[in-house]
Amino acid sequence: MKQLRHFFDLVARTLFVLSSTPFRMKEFSRQLYFVANGSLPIVLFCVGFAAIVTILEASFHMKLVIQNDSMVPGFAALLILRELGPVVTALLLTSRVGAGFTAEVGLMKTTEQIDALRMLGIDPVQYLVVPRLIATIVGTFLLALLASMTCLLGAMFVTDIHLGYSPAMFLSSMRVFVDFQDLLLAGLKGAVFGAVIPLVSCHFGFLCEEGAEGVGKATTQSVVVSSVSIIVLDFILSYVFSYV
Amino acid sequence: MIEYRGLVKRFGAKTILNGLNLRIEEGEIVFVLGTSGTGKSVLLKNTVGLFRPDAGEIWIQGREVSKLSEHDYLEVRKVCGMVFQHPALFDSMTVYENVAFGLRRFEELSESEIADRVKESLARVHLKGIEDKKPPQISYGMQKRVSLARTVALNPRILLFDEPTTGLDPVTTRAVNHLIFELSRKMKTTSIVVSHDMECALEIADRIVLLDKGSIVTQGTPSEIKKSEIPLVRGFLEEVLA
Repeated sequence: MKQLRHFFDLVARTLFVLSSTPFRMKEFSRQLYFVANGSLPIVLFCVGFAAIVTILEASFHMKLVIQNDSMVPGFAALLILRELGPVVTALLLTSRVGAGFTAEVGLMKTTEQIDALRMLGIDPVQYLVVPRLIATIVGTFLLALLASMTCLLGAMFVTDIHLGYSPAMFLSSMRVFVDFQDLLLAGLKGAVFGAVIPLVSCHFGFLCEEGAEGVGKATTQSVVVSSVSIIVLDFILSYVFSYV
Repeated sequence: MIEYRGLVKRFGAKTILNGLNLRIEEGEIVFVLGTSGTGKSVLLKNTVGLFRPDAGEIWIQGREVSKLSEHDYLEVRKVCGMVFQHPALFDSMTVYENVAFGLRRFEELSESEIADRVKESLARVHLKGIEDKKPPQISYGMQKRVSLARTVALNPRILLFDEPTTGLDPVTTRAVNHLIFELSRKMKTTSIVVSHDMECALEIADRIVLLDKGSIVTQGTPSEIKKSEIPLVRGFLEEVLA
């Protein structure tokens, strides 16, 4: 309960600071480079493979049940845009970026660097959380879209090689299933998940206890809570976009 | 100059400061000694508003500060410099940037004036030629001295030291202790030093305060403390005499 109150206090404080203090462009650029550029290869590599597995599994089971896999490209494209692209990207960023944020803020807390900031009249939320929040929202949004595009290319490639459907057939099947709203959902999910990662990570960093064990514990909690939050928010957003 | 009136600080069910009363006069060097967990560091962090007391008052330069907002506390922090138990230097910045950080924040100085102040502050702690290094590239003892330079660069009227020699070898410990004395006297600051080091306290303190379980057990000048028969004081003294 106390932790939940601390988290919502942090969210409220971040929103207040976000609207009332000047934007730190240099720190934002540094964080964006870390989040987006630093994560790009691993994200593209992983989502590429996720797309291939999706096509292979879908084709295998459709052939088994209905003896026809002609709808696989369309379904796969839909699944990639609405789920695979943004969710896999966010989960990868949780472990790569979120864990890093928690360890960094946690170490700053336990070595009294955050106290030193406050002594120098610097608000730690403004200094540490805000640039990370904006950079991760922008970074995850861009990565989610790029990952989705890479996924689609990977899926198109495997569909052509393994299932025998040409890229033109893939695209025409995709046009039947996918519309602009799906692309919008991919971007929106990326941005929402991008907000969750730094807020949860910094929250656990600020609560970090002394020593290697304290930092380890905070990092683990941060990754677990961020991942669970992303999955729950994914359900909520999918439900809202599909049924409301 | 600084006065604590009935100061109480609790963390959950645990009472750390238990109605502490203490007055520190201007220009005094006061050593606060005690075993671990007796509330020494908590006392310092309450002074600068990093913690807030659950009850009692803190008066600094004739002003009650314990209930000030975080924003208003900034004025208090400008006159109080604190050297933390850890060097607390910002790893992503060079030594120069660390020392200049507070100057850029609090004072309207040109870049050349900042450079002069940084150089002067590092010279005060007997450091030179390390401005371009990052904290992990210098020794722990040097990091402590850079931390001291960052604090004195702002010319505070009150200096608070939280176990400034913890983790240092005996030679560096002695050097840092002399630095505290030298800076306090040269800058005519009021200094509170939280420490376990009775030998150093006897050597440079104007007054020694002994804390136990959040309350003051005894206080006095070094010569008065030496004559004390209180078991806790004798425990600290025996270690020095040994």
